[in-house]
Amino acid sequence: MAKLKQSNQSFLQDLLSFQGSLNGKSQFLDEVRLKGAEEVKNIPFPHRKDEDWRFISLRDLYTDDYELATRLDVSVPDISEHYLPESEGSRMVFVNGVYSEEHSQAEALPDEVEIGNIADLASEDHPLLKEHLGKYGNFEDDVFSSFNTAFLDDGAFIHVPKGVKVDAPIHLLFVQTEADVNYFATSRCLVLADESSEVTIVEDYIGLGDNKYFNLPVFEVNLEEEAYVKHTKIQRESKEAIHLARTGAFVAKHANYESYTITRGAKLSRNEPRISQRDEEVEFTVDGLVLIDGDQVSDTHSVMDHRFSHAESHQLHKCVINGKAHSVFNGKIFVRKDAQKIDSFQENRNLLLSRKGLVNTKPQLEIFADDVVCTHGATIGQLEEEEMFYLKSRGLNDQQARELLIYAFALETIENISVESVQKLLVDEVHKFTERQLDSQLTA
Amino acid sequence: MLEVKDLHVCVEEDPSEKILKGVNLTIGKGEIHAIMGPNGSGKSTLSKVVAGHEAYEVTQGDILFEGESILDLDPDERAHKGLFLAFQYPVEVPGVTNKTLLRQAYNTIAKEQGREELDPIEFEDYINERLNVVDMKPEFLDRSVNAGFSGGEKKRNEIFQMAVLNPKLSFLDETDSGLDIDALKIVANGINQIADEEKSVVMVTHYQRILDYIQPDHVHVMLDGKVVKSGDKDLALKLEEQGYDWLTDLASVSVNGEQN
Amino acid sequence: MSETEALESMVGGEYKYGFTTDVEYEDFPTGINEDIIREISRRKNEPEWVTEFRLEAFEKWKQMEEPDWPNVEYETPDFDKVQYYSATKKKNKNKPESLDDVDPEIIETYKKLGIPLEEQKQLQGIAVDAVFDSESIFTTFKEKLAEAGVIFCSISEAIQDHPELVKEYLGSVVPKGDNFYAALNSAVFSDGSFVYVPKDTVCPMELSTYFRINNMQSGQFERTLIICEDNSQVSYLEGCTAPMFQENQLHAAVVELVALENAEIKYSTIQNWYSGDEEGQGGIFNFVTKRGHCRGDNSKISWTQVETGSAITWKYPSVIMQGDGSIGEFFSVAVTNNRQQADTGTKMIHVGKNTKSTIISKGISAGKSNNSYRGQVKISPRADGAQNYSVCDSMLIGQTCGAHTFPYIESANPTAKVEHEASTSRVGEDQIFYLQQRGMDEDDAISLIVNGFCKEVLKELPMEFAVEADKLLGIKLEGSVG
Repeated sequence: MAKLKQSNQSFLQDLLSFQGSLNGKSQFLDEVRLKGAEEVKNIPFPHRKDEDWRFISLRDLYTDDYELATRLDVSVPDISEHYLPESEGSRMVFVNGVYSEEHSQAEALPDEVEIGNIADLASEDHPLLKEHLGKYGNFEDDVFSSFNTAFLDDGAFIHVPKGVKVDAPIHLLFVQTEADVNYFATSRCLVLADESSEVTIVEDYIGLGDNKYFNLPVFEVNLEEEAYVKHTKIQRESKEAIHLARTGAFVAKHANYESYTITRGAKLSRNEPRISQRDEEVEFTVDGLVLIDGDQVSDTHSVMDHRFSHAESHQLHKCVINGKAHSVFNGKIFVRKDAQKIDSFQENRNLLLSRKGLVNTKPQLEIFADDVVCTHGATIGQLEEEEMFYLKSRGLNDQQARELLIYAFALETIENISVESVQKLLVDEVHKFTERQLDSQLTA
Repeated sequence: MLEVKDLHVCVEEDPSEKILKGVNLTIGKGEIHAIMGPNGSGKSTLSKVVAGHEAYEVTQGDILFEGESILDLDPDERAHKGLFLAFQYPVEVPGVTNKTLLRQAYNTIAKEQGREELDPIEFEDYINERLNVVDMKPEFLDRSVNAGFSGGEKKRNEIFQMAVLNPKLSFLDETDSGLDIDALKIVANGINQIADEEKSVVMVTHYQRILDYIQPDHVHVMLDGKVVKSGDKDLALKLEEQGYDWLTDLASVSVNGEQN
Repeated sequence: MSETEALESMVGGEYKYGFTTDVEYEDFPTGINEDIIREISRRKNEPEWVTEFRLEAFEKWKQMEEPDWPNVEYETPDFDKVQYYSATKKKNKNKPESLDDVDPEIIETYKKLGIPLEEQKQLQGIAVDAVFDSESIFTTFKEKLAEAGVIFCSISEAIQDHPELVKEYLGSVVPKGDNFYAALNSAVFSDGSFVYVPKDTVCPMELSTYFRINNMQSGQFERTLIICEDNSQVSYLEGCTAPMFQENQLHAAVVELVALENAEIKYSTIQNWYSGDEEGQGGIFNFVTKRGHCRGDNSKISWTQVETGSAITWKYPSVIMQGDGSIGEFFSVAVTNNRQQADTGTKMIHVGKNTKSTIISKGISAGKSNNSYRGQVKISPRADGAQNYSVCDSMLIGQTCGAHTFPYIESANPTAKVEHEASTSRVGEDQIFYLQQRGMDEDDAISLIVNGFCKEVLKELPMEFAVEADKLLGIKLEGSVG
């Protein structure tokens, strides 16, 4: 393992020394990585003086040494408990960033659907991959997405051709194992939904241990006309992990992109969904649920980019904060000039349960067209006393009443997710979370 | 008072969508008319076009008010002449009280008609007296126009505004819909108080039940963008009993009540 | 007339205060350095501690950089070309005791602006401090106020006559090096108002200051300090206008408010500096730091502003609620037209327990202007039971303007409650048709809708000034009327 200088400016650049081990399998990917590496060298590392990074510290990230995850040699424990029953025949598994063919299944998918590992498809010079990769997760001046590109190797590629409706949700399971050393992974997904296609994706990150690693995933999705993509992201990384993710979605005419992001794990996590309109008359949803406690920090920086007329967009972002946890939300509704008849809704609701917790929220409107209806709201507060009183008057004790109200708060997001087992899994997570928060309150 | 002659109207944004296809109608001074017809027959559009709504384009025909064409006039200029429309869906204007709106409206119209404007104190007396017409409380004057009003309150507010502005000709667009029987009686009573030999009222309605309280001199039936039958109040009763199907032939197209 | 045309004609009202007054100025060099600062202090005959205050601020300012985070674009003023002191020539050096000692041209100017300085001609119950460029010209009703124990004078006079009060409070709310423009102001501040309301006193009159920039080259750097002792109350209003010049003028003010136990300060602003022409030529750069400190328990500070002028506005009247149970309020109407840019809002800092703040902001953008609301609500860990409620609504008129909302909200206390809502919309066509049907023309209909939109804020203005604000909005938004 290479010894690294611990300066934040050169931190990512120094890690580029691992890049060499990936080269030689595909000329296309070699070039893509080279370009990514160049960007990493040129883009400054974020600083708290940057408006977008003022609320969180990356110290935990750059003050450690890391190994490239794919170079680790670890035995994979049984992970079948994390499989979704609906996705028995539609699953891709990546362990420490390496595609695992033995855990993956595709037989439930229609024949027309192309699904495969990016590295494998790249070595075959897959035309669609080459044409679309990097087009939708293009975050200008973002050193983390460039870093992801600099280590592009294994990853998920899904192409749903015109008119194909995929019933089975596709489960993309990214497993991070325990290891003796700190490591880093850069998972990548590219989803292409052609005209009038329909697909449901569950992007799922699980840390099996309590170890430290960092993951910089990039998820790209393109929706052609009348496509309908439902995207659920579940982040359950290890409690020492750092997870800084980007999602780039492009939405064409009459298409509908519906996304739900659930944040439960990681010591420090950040989601940057960016939804861009490619044409008129689209719909999109960017809902989120964050459940954090202990010393967790979770940050969501979203952009809803309305570029054309007639869009309906919706964002309900809910956070429950306990312990010393810190939640950050910066949601931007952007309506460009001449993008008329936009109906955009955004709300960030925070339940701050503890005295040591902290909430920063900055819902933001930037409007350059006049015929629009845009609203946003933000609330920070405790459980409603009136509601507590009501429940107690019905015979519930304090604990039960609290648990029920937190549960109800979270459920509003969960119940919109169409995959039943994911709903169930999340309900369990909420229960575990509320139990933990109640325990900590009782011992506090 | 009002003459509608062979009026053809389409939607401004989509000229292929023709809504009125040759409406003829004459309203005399002091008369009460009822225009009935199923959904989509064009009766609401007719009231909006008479008031000068920009969303519609007149492609043929004319509208004469007191003998002069009003087609080139803006909505406010038509209002100055004494034309009033009670909206089917009255619009909310947050932050502007009923009183502010009405004083400004009353005085603008008075000025245009060469009548004396009222100062705030005179207007206060006048408006308080008019409240009785629709049995409303004075608090109501200080609420924002229609904001947070119930459906029934909005409808009553329209009639109240009519009582204050004292128009020569009023189109009441579905003023009776959504009202319970008590509210309906109050509204009908208000309309009866306002209507006299000098003033004309046109009620655009779905149901004949308001006609139990207000006696129309003439009843017209609209189907598919035309007035297909006119008669006296017995026509309304017949429609109530038999529906519109028996008139279908007159409209020369099939009517199922939902069609445009 | 099409709707857009009507809207345009409405917002294109002419600026009525753009005339200049022909007066003779004392010579004063342009530029800024230690000598200039000492010279300002010397001409104002200031004690040594004020000179020191200025020089320390200047040292800090030299180290600072202009803020780049506001959502406005402009060319940084050339600080060496600004004249930092601008006083008219007078026969008598002292402040005039009666109006007879004031240059008749200046009296005429204020009369033209609608502010007669003769006490008998003024609205009952309002005392006026008239500030012309860098100096306070005249303060009315001083004797009457003195009877109640209220001090109302220019800050220069206060430094001479009440040094102990000024020394205690100056810079205690907005420190010398608070930000770039506050530091500049602290170094070169000219005049402004000083108000002191003693214990258990309700100020018997509304106080107001009328600021006028006349000199083309001069900047205006007024400094206002208001202190309300325990159980006292005051309502203060400022108005601002300037002539039309091709060049931009710099206005960098600092306002400090201190409210002790149970005290209440209501501060209203009607800002109508020249905003530049349609092409964005000229106009005032309005870079202002205004902050109130609720120092005592159950004190209250309330800011109301109607911002219609200035080429660039950068202004965030704030309240630090330190006393338990104290209250901060911010009510704002900001109208931008042509190429105006406004980045305005507030900071509500909750420190004490059970503190409450309310923010109501209404932004109206027209022409090619950009209007931003930027606000911060911060609940500190010990602010148990703190509450904030914010509403920020924007209205756009036309398709070439922008409306932006940047609220920063931070809470570190689980017993606090924060609610923020914002919306952006436009004047509805159905609303216009409805009002037209009731006999109003398009101009009047839109004007009425805009007034309704701003009503929650306008009603916060002292009654005497509500009419003036209404008129101002009228001028800004109507053209023909008003």
